[in-house]
Amino acid sequence: MKCGSNLEKLLSAGQFVVCGEMSPPQSVDAASIARKCAYFKGYVDAVNLTDNQTAIVRMSSVTSSYFALCGGVEPIMQMTCRDRNRLAMQSDILSAHALGVRNLLCLTGDYQKFGNHPDAKGVFDLDSCHLVAMVKQMRDDKKFLCGEEMKAEPRMFIGAAANPFGEPFEMRVLNLAKKIEAGADFIQTQPVFDVPGFEKWMNAVRDEGMDKQVYILAGVMPVRSAKALLYMKESVPGMRIAPEYIKRLEAITDKDASMDEGVKIAVEIMKQLADIPGVAGLHTMPVMWESITPRLVEEAGLLPRPEVPADEPESAQVTKESNT
Amino acid sequence: MSKVSEKFAALFQDRPRLHACAAIAENLFKKPVFGCQDCGQCILSYTAFTCCMRCPKQMRNGPCGGTREDGHCEVYPERVCRWWLIHKRAKWMGRIKKLRRLQVPVDRQFEHTSAWLNVFAGKIDPPSWGRE
Repeated sequence: MKCGSNLEKLLSAGQFVVCGEMSPPQSVDAASIARKCAYFKGYVDAVNLTDNQTAIVRMSSVTSSYFALCGGVEPIMQMTCRDRNRLAMQSDILSAHALGVRNLLCLTGDYQKFGNHPDAKGVFDLDSCHLVAMVKQMRDDKKFLCGEEMKAEPRMFIGAAANPFGEPFEMRVLNLAKKIEAGADFIQTQPVFDVPGFEKWMNAVRDEGMDKQVYILAGVMPVRSAKALLYMKESVPGMRIAPEYIKRLEAITDKDASMDEGVKIAVEIMKQLADIPGVAGLHTMPVMWESITPRLVEEAGLLPRPEVPADEPESAQVTKESNT
Repeated sequence: MSKVSEKFAALFQDRPRLHACAAIAENLFKKPVFGCQDCGQCILSYTAFTCCMRCPKQMRNGPCGGTREDGHCEVYPERVCRWWLIHKRAKWMGRIKKLRRLQVPVDRQFEHTSAWLNVFAGKIDPPSWGRE
């Protein structure tokens, strides 16, 4: 065991995992996280806590991960390179471990121009590969990025992102290989709205044997309307959306029926993705629609969620830690 | 690096003004040709002689997730994505394998110094010539 998080235990036990995603509040409203935890507890195995996603100011992912933990949900803390330099990042990683966070998703981050502070300075001191390597070095070598040793190391299950649909295709596979070499343990992909395109990427990943080196969690995003899909197609670069889904949603004018169709599409995609060899789990990301998660997971036939195996090495590790 | 180049670098070691002149001389060539961003630790030989520091996110290990379908940048739609260009040129030059190397984080202390002198002094990794 690298860190002993529930996510790691489930994945290493060969279970098909499901992750959720929630956005921290754009205020000091910590209770909203506790409220949202109810949508996830028992329905997913871990939940991503976003780090100022789309460059909009929110409660920090460290703090909200802690609140999620208090709410009984396993957090996957996201960390971007946009807002912090290497000092601040390492300090936040230490804090996160101290607060009980054991999963960390390393991202480069959306450019600040797209958020509510387009006038801000983007830091980008490191890129996502550097960040993955840095967390691995802190965990496995007990060393800060500068090379200085630390007494007690942060133990994190390291995640990274992959975009199966970005251009150029060859670079996407190469980039994944680099992230694995840097030390990623699991990969979460961009939301899939083009299953054949994802399969093509997955074939390339399997050809390189990378599905054996890293756990790949495929992204799924339920949408409420054709408008949302069209917005993503127009305004979110690097997303590919099959026209079939837009047509299906456009055909429906009623708001509730459109929501049902959106869930139906997401469930279809989830089932198709689960059948692709090499996919170790799913990552649902209902943006501003966390309440749909239980229905999504249930309709995809992924309930009940497996029990976290309580294994021997983990308990041995705990006693060893408490002795030192 | 050889003894000669080390001696050459030592010449500039404690002469900051001379080093600045060398950096300017290097810029005179690199700015117009590569659009050099003066990071002082050039990896042009790994990135198909296309400067990756011109990327808005200064990605040194590959593209971010936002390259548009036409190969343009997500931040500045009028510009071509640096990594899209790097990939295209690397393919043309037969240097795809060099993109595979995991680049270390930028040492910000080397900014606005001469990358060539830094190589001679053994402070940064030498460029990788030759095709693969």
